[in-house]
Amino acid sequence: MSDCILVVDDDREIVKAISILLEGEGYEVLKAYDGLEALDILACRQVRLVLIDVMMPKLDGLSALMRIRERQNIPVIVLSAKSEDTDKVLGLSMGADDYVSKPYNPQELAARVKSQLRRYTCLGDIHAGSRIGEIRNGRLLYRMDEKILYADGEPVRLTAKETGIIELLIRNPGRVFPAEEIYRRVWDEEAYASENTVMVHIRRIREKLELNPKEPEYLKVVWGIGYKMEKH
Amino acid sequence: MDTKWKSIKKILSFAVFFLGVTLTLWNLPGMLRRMPAKLFSRDSAEGWETDYQQSRRFRQHISNRLEDFLSIAINGCPTYGDYYNGYSAGEAAYYEELAQLQEEIGEALVTEGTAAGIPLEYEDPEERWYREYGWYGWEEGEEDPEGNLTEEEKERLQKRKEKLTRNYFSGMEEDKNLLYSISYDGKLLYSNADLIQGDGTVQVPEGYNFLLYFDGACVRITKDGRDVDIYGDGYYRVNSDWYVPGYRNFPVNDEMKKAVICMAAAKEPVLYTVGLAKSGGYRQQNNVLYWMQYNILSGRRLLRWNLVGFAAGIGLLVCSLFCRKGRREASEKIAAIQGRIWIEGKVLLGVLVLGVVFAGIGRQLRENGSYDIWWELTQAYADGGLGASGSYIEWMLSELLYVSAMCWVTLFWMIYLFWNDLRHNKRMWSRGLIARCCRAFSAREMKLPLARRMARRSAIVCVVIAFLGIIILAAAAGGDRDMIFVPCGFGVAGILLAVSLAERKNVKAAREVDALSKRIGEICSGDYTAKAGGIDNSGSGNDAGKEKNHLCRQKESEVTVGNELETVAAQLENIRQGMAGAVDEQMRSERMKVELIANVSHDLKTPLTSIISYVQFLKEEEGLPEHVKDYIKILDEKSQRLKNMVQDVFAVSKAASGELPVNMEQLDFGKLLRQTLADMDEEIQGSSVSFRTEIPEAPVLILADGQRMYRVFQNLFQNALKYSLEGSRVYVALQVDGRMAVASVKNTSHMELDEDKNFTERFFRGDKSRTDGGSGLGLSIAQSFTEACGGQFELEFNADLFIVRVSFQTDCV
Repeated sequence: MSDCILVVDDDREIVKAISILLEGEGYEVLKAYDGLEALDILACRQVRLVLIDVMMPKLDGLSALMRIRERQNIPVIVLSAKSEDTDKVLGLSMGADDYVSKPYNPQELAARVKSQLRRYTCLGDIHAGSRIGEIRNGRLLYRMDEKILYADGEPVRLTAKETGIIELLIRNPGRVFPAEEIYRRVWDEEAYASENTVMVHIRRIREKLELNPKEPEYLKVVWGIGYKMEKH
Repeated sequence: MDTKWKSIKKILSFAVFFLGVTLTLWNLPGMLRRMPAKLFSRDSAEGWETDYQQSRRFRQHISNRLEDFLSIAINGCPTYGDYYNGYSAGEAAYYEELAQLQEEIGEALVTEGTAAGIPLEYEDPEERWYREYGWYGWEEGEEDPEGNLTEEEKERLQKRKEKLTRNYFSGMEEDKNLLYSISYDGKLLYSNADLIQGDGTVQVPEGYNFLLYFDGACVRITKDGRDVDIYGDGYYRVNSDWYVPGYRNFPVNDEMKKAVICMAAAKEPVLYTVGLAKSGGYRQQNNVLYWMQYNILSGRRLLRWNLVGFAAGIGLLVCSLFCRKGRREASEKIAAIQGRIWIEGKVLLGVLVLGVVFAGIGRQLRENGSYDIWWELTQAYADGGLGASGSYIEWMLSELLYVSAMCWVTLFWMIYLFWNDLRHNKRMWSRGLIARCCRAFSAREMKLPLARRMARRSAIVCVVIAFLGIIILAAAAGGDRDMIFVPCGFGVAGILLAVSLAERKNVKAAREVDALSKRIGEICSGDYTAKAGGIDNSGSGNDAGKEKNHLCRQKESEVTVGNELETVAAQLENIRQGMAGAVDEQMRSERMKVELIANVSHDLKTPLTSIISYVQFLKEEEGLPEHVKDYIKILDEKSQRLKNMVQDVFAVSKAASGELPVNMEQLDFGKLLRQTLADMDEEIQGSSVSFRTEIPEAPVLILADGQRMYRVFQNLFQNALKYSLEGSRVYVALQVDGRMAVASVKNTSHMELDEDKNFTERFFRGDKSRTDGGSGLGLSIAQSFTEACGGQFELEFNADLFIVRVSFQTDCV
């Protein structure tokens, strides 16, 4: 049985576009055009994931989200034209699992839906407590003995240097490393013109594990200081 | 070397000027005085004359002697030059007697006056003389005044005459420079040489070249053996040389006919001195002629020096005409020194010097004239002329010429210094002690609020009035009746001064209040246009119309000031309420603006989302003809661009309205640039442009929002990639200049730059066609983000070189 996804938006074309996109990926899509309708559907159908817009008539997305969270723990992705950081923070703190701003990138949206579903259905219970030699950060999992990085439970193919960088960063989530330090510790050489080299590697890793490499969630550049692994 | 020569030249040229003026002024009065010109010469020291007998003083002396001798011969006593005027010897004796009597009575009064209480009418000695002697001189027309005298009086008078005559001749007898012989009625009375022989002929001794002989009919003068023409046409005039009887209008009278007088003057007078055995010492004889000659000779010598000095002075003055520049510089230097002295010091010094100078002039005049100068000035003119010396003006001139040359020179230089000061030091009055005090006082006064200032002013006026009033009352109560006007005058003047000063300030304040209330009224009625000058200047009248009728306006404001200020308060309240409303309105509209932007961008994004989504589906559709795929590609590109634009517009609007949140942190500017370049490495490698960087390895710490600054440089580098000439280089440099860190991006534009265009203007595009990607907001975003982070953003074009500078203050730890 394919996963059932509820798409809520007052713009019918967008709902239709998203359902075409997700049906193409093999999901079953339910449609709602305002918050109340969404709540009705949720009451009678078993839904695995909700994609919800913020600005809607009758009941807006954030209020609906709060109502959903009262009863259910399913993943909710907020889809909004409000792209400000403050809007994202607000949405995430209200209980959303992810925030995608319009106009969205279809591939990115599909990847995010997939990621949330996998975490909810497959990984959620199995990896509730991390084992020794495992580092968990959001949808990332690094097994130090194997030196393998898993994203949403699937191993990511990384080169030796890339694995070195990931190990350094994921073991110190939130800490900012200057390019020179990364270079010195990973390459084990005196840093010279390290910025470009490190940046190139970071970009390659991003392409492999980030859902939208242009707006990275995990491997972040702290401009003017260095690089860090965002803590999730 | 050059400057040294310059300063020497300056000093030299001023010295030439100084010496020229001083010498000229020093010698001019003496020269004019001693010149033979009759106009300026009061005495007869006529310039080049070496023979004292040619001088007028000599002629006057001889004439006076003849008069005295005649008086002695006729009356038995000299009249000291008053014989011709009708005074008799008795009168002279009378005056002598009177003087002595006054002395006696004066003493008696001092000794007796307090004890005996002499009646008041005896205080006047002349009156006592009348009472005691019953005699009051001579009435006009009396034949023989002495006939009325008693025997006792006659005897006393006779004694006095003899004493006077004895005194007259003492000192003259031994003075052999002037020989004389006086006989009357055929009897020789007085003589100090045998001038008239027994047969009546005159015998002049060796060494005497001047002879005057009065034979009872007329005067004959022989000089160097030649007769001198005395009488001319026979009439005596004011400027005639000889004032002797024998003119047709000055005839010899009967008494004179009996007299025979002979005088002889030495050619070279010598100094006669006698030893005094009694007191042990010497006494000079009369020696008038000797001193006369001495004065003439020394005057001539002085004149020579005067002429030489005057000529030298004029010469130097002419020289100084050729170095006027140096002189001017020197005088500027002097003025600079003068400028440093307080005006009070200068005035005090000037008054002191002037005092000394005028004391000198006064003394000089007194010495020369033997009179009080004021008497001379008032009385001499009233008397109508001054005898032989000519008009009053002439007398004044010659009098001034006697003023010491020193005085003239000092006076000139004082005036020069004053003028110099006035010419070069424009603000000389404001540098003085008084000006300083005034300024300090008004500065302290200005610190007080207006109300207290005005109150204090009127208090000061009251104190001054009270103080001066007390002085006036005190003067009126106890003072001398004649002197009461002096303190009264000063008091009233002081009160007027104080009142007018305070009034002036108050009027100014009133005018300011007036202008203020008027302006407030204007604002209240909706006139917000700024007027030149403002309240501060309106007091001094910034437009003619205001100035013209300020008097009547002032009256108005004084009359209605109470009402007016109440109105003003009400108007201000109105304005306050209006402003509160306006501020609220402003806040609301600001909020609305941001909301509007957010809503618009939301409303734009929603349809855009659909467009992008369906274009995506179309792109994935298979089996479409090629040309349809092309259309879809265009749709895709344009929709992506539209998305970027919407995001950029939103960012720029937020930044422009100051709503852009910034997360300031300390970061390394150099690292930021390197990271950005590394981030864009692919784009850079893929372009035909190459980057040259000059970024120091050492950290350059600044305080900024890294994310925003990344966006700034991303935009700048994208711009450089987009608009650079193919194959050219982009130079990225970071320099630290003191406290400023400046990052610059320079690239060569592939098209001509128009300097008139504003590149940071929103939606400005390098090319007008607007066909390339980008929102046209790149530079605008870069600028507004930089400024939001507290940096400076500058653009510069030089031919095809396009330079952007982003500067931040370095953040020292």
